[in-house]
Parts: sequence; structure tokens; C-alpha cells
Amino acid sequence: MKKLIRLKDVTIGYDGKAILGPVELTIRRGEFTGILGPNGGGKSTLLKTMLGLVPPVSGSVDREQDIVFGYVPQNGHFDPLFPVSVEEVVSMGRYARAPAGRTLSKADRECVARSMEMAGVSRLARRTFRSLSGGEKQRTLIARAVAGEPDALVLDEPTAAVDVRGEAAIMELVESIRKESGAAVIMVSHFLRTAAKYAERIILVDADKGVFREGAKPELMTSGVLADFFGFNFESDLDPQTTGPGGGGA
Amino acid sequence: MITFGEFLHSYFLWRDPMLVGAAAGAICGLLGVYVVLRRIIFVSAALTQVSSFGVALTFYIEGLGLGALSAAVHPFALSIGLTVAAAVFFALKKDYSRISREGIIGFGFLVASAAVVILGDRITKGSHDIASILFGSAVVVAPEDVYIIPSIAIAVGAILLIYMKDFVFVSFDEESARLFKYPVRALNAGLMVMIAVVAAAATRALGALPVFAFLALPPLAALYFTERLKLVFILSAAMGVLSAVLGYFFSFVLSLPTGASMAMCACVFFIAGLSWREVRKRV
Repeated sequence: MKKLIRLKDVTIGYDGKAILGPVELTIRRGEFTGILGPNGGGKSTLLKTMLGLVPPVSGSVDREQDIVFGYVPQNGHFDPLFPVSVEEVVSMGRYARAPAGRTLSKADRECVARSMEMAGVSRLARRTFRSLSGGEKQRTLIARAVAGEPDALVLDEPTAAVDVRGEAAIMELVESIRKESGAAVIMVSHFLRTAAKYAERIILVDADKGVFREGAKPELMTSGVLADFFGFNFESDLDPQTTGPGGGGA
Repeated sequence: MITFGEFLHSYFLWRDPMLVGAAAGAICGLLGVYVVLRRIIFVSAALTQVSSFGVALTFYIEGLGLGALSAAVHPFALSIGLTVAAAVFFALKKDYSRISREGIIGFGFLVASAAVVILGDRITKGSHDIASILFGSAVVVAPEDVYIIPSIAIAVGAILLIYMKDFVFVSFDEESARLFKYPVRALNAGLMVMIAVVAAAATRALGALPVFAFLALPPLAALYFTERLKLVFILSAAMGVLSAVLGYFFSFVLSLPTGASMAMCACVFFIAGLSWREVRKRV
């Protein structure tokens, strides 16, 4: 599979202060990668370093030329003051292919309509984004990400604010997009069970302990590796949100 | 009190200030939507004060009698220069080493306000002008403002229209805009420079109080009236115009201070918007 992103001997951090490294990592087209780790463990920093939103402290990040990302940020990223409609939010995804100063073409608008249809938010097109439920917001943001026809779909805790049924629906949607478009999926998640079901490759990150492990799912999603990483047993269930002590999620 | 008929017959007195007020109200209303949505209302307050300081400083330099230097300092140029510099600083500098952005903006507001009062105390010749700048008590405008303010309003309005998608995108989701390689810093700085230019020009013509009111209250009212972003822009600009025109009208016929009258009209729109939202919530 073609390489989309490659991190070579990268140290990640903020403002020149290293929090984790060295990191060696390759993201390939069409592959589903799950990033797991404790809160404050550097998952989002790693993700943003991959995207180019945070510069690496050292090392190099190579991205495929003209790569387009479809980005679904964490819940709570958007200011509820903004009275933007669902259609306007989804249209923003198309801005990846409509630079500043250029308005959306008819073809762009058709793509926006298709993306809303595919994510099941067409009926919400005129509703304000801020008035939606957690699940509807995530579907809208996924539609926005898809509208840019991305090479990589990047999701930062996409199911954090939805119920179990909503989580399943969102993950099935993400999986169907991946299969249909061939885009890579990079997902930060707190839910081990979700990662275990969908991801092909797993990244375990804990900056506090200086741990960075990357590998195929069968290699890392074992109770032994996870117990060692999270510090408690996973004998009966992989999901620490439901079985682990103190909600010590990934 | 002046009757409506007398008011109409005096059109040669109010035509120019009302035109300038309407142009300033419209463009402040448009820009104010970004000010409110980006939660930088205090920035606009600080910028109007910095602009006032620029004008006060010019009066002070003039009063020093430094000959060619005093004559060379144009009030508008100095005011606009200082305001744009402050705006660019607020736009680009986000990390102030443990001091919040609001703290630095508050500092800028207080320094500029105090400096205006101190300079005003030192300028006996221009003390009335300083009061006009601060509170907008002037009922007439300088002849050049009849051309400058509408020209700035048209130019800024055109830029806002052409780059509307981009300004909205960067304001709503700066991270994604950076991901899509949008010129985020240029758009942010551009928006702040436009706010600075409009604030400086309008403050010199109308006063700091009404300009701050136009930047904050019509957009807030519009956000109460509608949930459609495009309609928010239209309503806000319209309420900015109406605040200026009605404010000047009431000032003229009731002999009220002009700037305060304009600001009060903007307050009425805000209260109307707030009431509309409360009524809609209950129905």
C-alpha cells in the first residue's frame, strides 16, 4: 500500500518542549489506524504532528504531495455562538479543494449534497449545527470530512459524546467510507473495543511513561500488552470504559 | 424641541453627518459580526481607545509648537497608524507568557484611555475636541470625512463580501483552515487591520462611544433575531445604519449628545433582540 505519511525519528511536543520520542511511523493508504493511550498521553499531539498542525521538535514528517485530510476534531472544538447551518459546515469540507478567494462551484455543491446524503444528514441541512445532538454533530463533521474527498480521514475521539447505538452507527459509517473511497483512517479513541473491532494497526502512546508502540492489531491488542500498558487486567473485556478501574480509558 | 418639518428643512445641516454615520454604522455592523463571533468585543473597545489616543496625541504635538514637525503630523494618519499597529499586535501575538490575551487587551484599553484623559488635561485648546472624540458629542463632521468614511466602508465591505467564505471558515474552525493551507495569519491580520482602519476613521468622525456601540450591539441583536449567518450580517449592517440615522435624528430634534444618542439607539436594538429571543423561547 502507498505511504501517505511517514514520521522519521520524530520527537513530538509543544513550543520546542519534547514530550515523546523518537517516533517511527508510517500511515498507508486505505489502512485503519487506531491511536490509544491515557488522557494527556500525547495522542492528539501525535495526531496534529502527523497533520502538520504542530511542528515536530526534531526529526522529519513526510507527507504525500497534495495530500488532502478530512478532519473530524474533538467534540467541543466549535464555538456554539456560531449560527452556521449543517449545509454550511459540510461545505467547509470542500474548501480543501476551493482555495481562499474562490467560491464553491456547482460540482462542489453537488459533492456537498452527496456527502450529506451518505452521512444521513440531508434532512438536517438547514438546521443550525449548534442545535444538533452529539451523534448528529459527528455525522455532520464526517460528512464535512468526506466532502473534501480526502486521502486520509482523521478522527479525534469521534464517538466520545454519543451513546452506544450512535457509536456503532458512526463507526459503521466510517468503515463504509473507508471501503468505498480507499481513504486511510486515523482515529484517536478512548474505546479499546472500538479500536479492536475496526483498526488494522494500533498505536499505543503514553508520553508520561515515554511509551510509543506501533504494530498490527493482533500483535498489540492482547490482554498482556494492554495490561502492561494501562496497568490493569483486561481478562473479560477489552473496554476499560466499562470494566477497567477508575475509567482509566485509553 | 425641533419639529419633524423643521428637521427636514434643515437637511443641509444633517445630510453629511448622517451619511457619514450611516456608512460607519453599516460597516461597523458587518465587521462587528466577526468581532462578536470571535469573542473579541473587548479588542474593538481597546482599538477605539487607541484611535482616540492617536488623535489626542496629534493635538498634543500640535500644541507643543514644534513648527514643521507639528504640521507634518496628520491626525488621521497617526491615529490610523497606532490603531493598526495595536490590531496587528492583538491578532498575531497569542502567547503572552502566562498572561491571558484578555489581560493584555485590557491593559491596552486602560493605557490608551488613561493617556487620552491625561493628554486632554494638557491640551486646553483642544479639550472640546477630545470630549467629542471620546463621547461623539460633535454634531458636524469634517468635510473630508464625507468622502473618507463611505469610501472605506465600500472598500472594506467589498473585501468582506469577496472573502466571506474564508473569513467565516477561519473564524469558525481555524485548525481546519490551517490544515487546508488557507492563509490563516493573513486572513486574521487582514480582518483586524480592517477593524482598526474602520475604528480609527469612524472614531475620529463620530467618537469612540458610538463606534464601539456599532461594533458590538447590532451584531449581538442580529444574533438574537436570526439563526441564519447571512441574515445576521444583513440585519447587523441594517441595525448599524438605523442606530446611526435614528441616533442622529433624536440628537437633532431633542438636543441630545449625538454619540450617546446613537449608542442608545443601538442599545434599543439589542434590548429588542434579547426580548424577541425570550418571547420565541416561551412560544
